[in-house]
Amino acid sequence: MFLALRELKYSKGRYGLIGLIMVLVAWLTFIVSGLANGLSSDNASILKNMDADYFVLQSDSEHKLTRSALPVEKLDEVRQLNGDIQAEPLSQTMLSVYQTGSNKKIDIAVFAIEPEGTLMPSITEGQNMAANDEIVVDSSLKEKGIKLGDTIGDKDLGIEWKVVGFTKNQKFSHTPVVFMDIQYFSDLMQASMGKKVASYNSIVIKSDSVNKDTLQKNLTDAEVITKQEAVQGIPGFKEEQGSLTMMIAFLIVIAAFIQAVFFYVITLQKISQFGVLKAIGAKTSYLATNLVGQVLLLAIVAVAISIGLTFGVSAILPESMPFELGTDILSQYSGLLILVSIIGALLSLNRIAKVDAIEAIGRVE
Amino acid sequence: MKEKLVLENVNKIYGDGETAVTALQKVSLTVKEGEFVAVVGPSGSGKSTFLSIAGALLSPTSGRILINQKDVTHLTSREMSDVRVKNLGFIFQASNLVPYLKVLDQLLLVSKLAGKVGKEAEQKAKELLDQVGLLHRMNYYPEKLSGGERQRVAIARAFMNDPGVILADEPTASLDSKRGRAVVELMASEVKQRGKAAVMVTHDERVLDLCDRIVTIKDGMLYEKKADIVNKDKKPEASVLG
Repeated sequence: MFLALRELKYSKGRYGLIGLIMVLVAWLTFIVSGLANGLSSDNASILKNMDADYFVLQSDSEHKLTRSALPVEKLDEVRQLNGDIQAEPLSQTMLSVYQTGSNKKIDIAVFAIEPEGTLMPSITEGQNMAANDEIVVDSSLKEKGIKLGDTIGDKDLGIEWKVVGFTKNQKFSHTPVVFMDIQYFSDLMQASMGKKVASYNSIVIKSDSVNKDTLQKNLTDAEVITKQEAVQGIPGFKEEQGSLTMMIAFLIVIAAFIQAVFFYVITLQKISQFGVLKAIGAKTSYLATNLVGQVLLLAIVAVAISIGLTFGVSAILPESMPFELGTDILSQYSGLLILVSIIGALLSLNRIAKVDAIEAIGRVE
Repeated sequence: MKEKLVLENVNKIYGDGETAVTALQKVSLTVKEGEFVAVVGPSGSGKSTFLSIAGALLSPTSGRILINQKDVTHLTSREMSDVRVKNLGFIFQASNLVPYLKVLDQLLLVSKLAGKVGKEAEQKAKELLDQVGLLHRMNYYPEKLSGGERQRVAIARAFMNDPGVILADEPTASLDSKRGRAVVELMASEVKQRGKAAVMVTHDERVLDLCDRIVTIKDGMLYEKKADIVNKDKKPEASVLG
């Protein structure tokens, strides 16, 4: 590192510039990844945070929870398969409702479950629903002005629900989730919407011993999917995440190329210098260590600065912006950025290895 | 006196078969402690190849080379690096200093390559810089030094690891005659004082009188004349070479 540090100090300008480019690329990478992460939970946090392994859907519903309708008898069928299986019904629908006394519409995703079951999330404020017309809602509805004790409902259907509790991080398809009793929900569907046959959207399974294939084999006219597949089945989820992931991948490839080319050009410029160094006895390994040292130092400092900048940005972003930085994602991308910069340095190392000490002799400049 | 650098019947042939080019032919040379030898010859005569082989940068096709009584004829490139850093001091043509190292660091780098660090190396570097008259410039980058000063740093660097043999490749090439002569004088006095063996490849006729022996290289063969004859013949020969 004797040479590496002194050269960085001597050529501050040129290494500063490449460092700045690295900071900008890494910064953008982290922001896009934070956005991808935030959108992902905005879209699917209810399923991701659900204590579940598999979902049973109607056959041919193509992994889409919203499309499925299972006869209620299916629940008993699943429960009888194996004593270890914990199965709970789930019904779901999207609604636009009014807050009582206001004319503004609010979009909600109704998830009807058993209030005492494992699908019920922990309550951060207020209490669990006890009566039929009581609901627990996602805390993001607070931003729309909803408080404990408020009522929301549908004027046309003539129904109103009372908010008795809040829960955190429960969103589906970018819409806040409202939890209500499934029994009440089924009655409501039959009474208000004229539904003839009672049905569930899905049966949620948690089991340590039974796997997906066994379930699929033993259930007729049903489709068994994992939690991950259910998340992917949310309308628009794959497309949204796919485009952001592609942007991140491109950024990382760009970072790799910028660094590789920069260090390669610098190395080419220094060929005769490497010749002299080798002639006075420097080994290739010594020169290589110094180059890798420079690359590593530059990459680590650039990534560290951009992590700081990313946290700065996340602090000034509005609350409603779906932006979430996970330490695991941040460290993954940091590691990846540092790794690609070292891979890029291999190009220069190869060139340094080829330099012959004889180039120092008889050289007329 | 000890023989520091010995070349015995060294041949160097580049390429093979029909395209083979003989660069050196039966070259033999012995340089003793405290001896300063000049190698002169026209371009293309094999001076660079000679220096590369004597400097453990290139292996000969046949023959034997001893540096500090150690046979270096058949070494791997790693081993040759070790020989160079410990036993050889190089002085090249102009601008062979590392541009981003201050004068003191130029010297410390060499001792670092030999695995020596710490106060002792720094002490030695300062001593050497004092002797070449550049102690007051030790925190300067090479770009701030004159051509003569740079060559003096290069000389100090060559002596840093206390090598047995000093090799110089046209050290006066980029200097005017006054500065060039001062640089070679410095080299000669250091070589004498420290008991090194030195070989200098040069075109510069003006500094030959500072050398103990002069050998001429021509078409890959080495000719040696007695010093007094050389001195007598110096003037007419200069016009031929010049």
